[in-house]
Amino acid sequence: MKRLFARIAAVMSATVCAGALLAQQSTGPTLPPAELAKQQQAQTTAQPYNNKPVWDNARGAVSGYTSIPGPEAGVLIQDGGQTWRALKNGTVSVWGGWALVAMFLVTGAFYAWKGTIQLHESPTGRLVERFSFFERMAHWSTAITFSILAISGLILAFGKHILIPVFGFTLFSWLATLSKTLHNFVGPLFIISCVVTFVVFVRDNWPKAVDFKWLASFGGLLSGKHVPSEKFNAGEKVWFWGGLMGLGIIVGVSGLILNFPNFGQTRSTMQLANLVHLGGSILFMVGAVGHIYMGTLGMAGAFSAMKTGKVDEAWAKEHHEIWYNDYKAGKLARHENRAGHPQPVGGDD
Amino acid sequence: MARMKFICDAERCIECNGCVTACKNEHDVPWGVNRRRVVTLNDGIVGAERSISVACMHCSDAPCKAVCPVNCFYTTDDGVVLHDKDLCIGCGYCFYACPFGAPQFPQAGAFGLRGKMDKCTFCAGGPEKDASKTEVEKYGRNRLAEGKLPACAEMCSTKALLAGDGDVLSDIYRERVMRRGRGGDLWGHATAYGVKSVPATQPAPVQQKS
Repeated sequence: MKRLFARIAAVMSATVCAGALLAQQSTGPTLPPAELAKQQQAQTTAQPYNNKPVWDNARGAVSGYTSIPGPEAGVLIQDGGQTWRALKNGTVSVWGGWALVAMFLVTGAFYAWKGTIQLHESPTGRLVERFSFFERMAHWSTAITFSILAISGLILAFGKHILIPVFGFTLFSWLATLSKTLHNFVGPLFIISCVVTFVVFVRDNWPKAVDFKWLASFGGLLSGKHVPSEKFNAGEKVWFWGGLMGLGIIVGVSGLILNFPNFGQTRSTMQLANLVHLGGSILFMVGAVGHIYMGTLGMAGAFSAMKTGKVDEAWAKEHHEIWYNDYKAGKLARHENRAGHPQPVGGDD
Repeated sequence: MARMKFICDAERCIECNGCVTACKNEHDVPWGVNRRRVVTLNDGIVGAERSISVACMHCSDAPCKAVCPVNCFYTTDDGVVLHDKDLCIGCGYCFYACPFGAPQFPQAGAFGLRGKMDKCTFCAGGPEKDASKTEVEKYGRNRLAEGKLPACAEMCSTKALLAGDGDVLSDIYRERVMRRGRGGDLWGHATAYGVKSVPATQPAPVQQKS
């Protein structure tokens, strides 16, 4: 686990370094163009046979006149591309790709070790409403759009290494076109889903003191000791803030920049956006593997909670004791008291 | 085997844009796409003004080829970097990677949706059958197959732009530099040809379709 985090941190820092490097490169020479011209004028007098300084400076942000329209048409050589290529094809893809593979392996190993974690007590048969219809719709919209984006993104990023040898060029190109189109059109829907999901779940994800106790023992996942938690445990809250919101913003903003190139973005902007998007989305997928595992194979009863919206009282007590106690005491707002339980006397809140 | 290269002699280029026009005319390049452009540095400043005609330089270690997600690029035996428009998905990565701004995209829809990439082919067409109708429609004329050199260089009024085998071009250029005693710095060559050709690590699409 520690090594995995180290890897994730490495990818993250590589992305940040890439950004810094590109930002530095795109600024090119520090002298303003007029100053450069003056320098070169002097050069022709001092050393008439030496044009090297002209060409040394004709890189990066230095732009000349051209009658051909188009953004950056006056730039002779843009430097960032080579850096972008090296980081995209190298550092970020290699480490990111292996981080994703490692996450699958770690999750698989964990499943082999623990299997599906069952309830300790037998179910009571009494159901508690955990998620309303709207909450589930918000979750599944995000989940489905995320899955489409993840698969199409992986095809575009790694398909040429893995799928071309299998499918051949023509079929893979067709698949890549489909992936690109899906990715471009589903992306904005994912952002909208994320925003709705954020609004719907933010109240129950507010960090509390008890969350730190949960985090300190990692929810008792390894020790097997019981740690009480609210409607969402600290792990879910980390996924909410770090994944849905944090990575959602990183991947969403960079994705919009890449998706709508018609606002005159320069190449260095696109390169940076691409690296941030690639690094961020790999972290997103690494997190999603854990999230999906816990919601399906890892924990009995978790999937049906998001599918039907209802959980057994025993499940609620075991996994989210504070929430369950609040529910029992009738402290919960709105729908959560509607699951066939009598309302407490004298209040609906 | 020849290694095709471009040389633009900045001491000779007079910014007439003849190469740009020749290219557009020869290949019937669509509206909004310019395979070649002339850039003038220090425009109007006496003594410091230089013009360069720039297009795809057909790099030894082509960045476009390296970043293409569908591997649609290939380098011919003559060192010309070509691509297969049937495979291209219009993602724009080649444009981000290219130092020379060579890849061009016709707009194919709203919100800047890109069509299939178009760029200088060194007048060598594409993977279609040489001089076939589909090749001309997709990539323009294949002059190399006819034994001719690129139209831009052939049309250049001052012979600033030279295209052809790198060894032959070097000899011509070296002689010019010796005669006039200046301007020995070849623009763009370190970037395009500074690296030795790299052996293909990826499979390449078929170079010639039947």
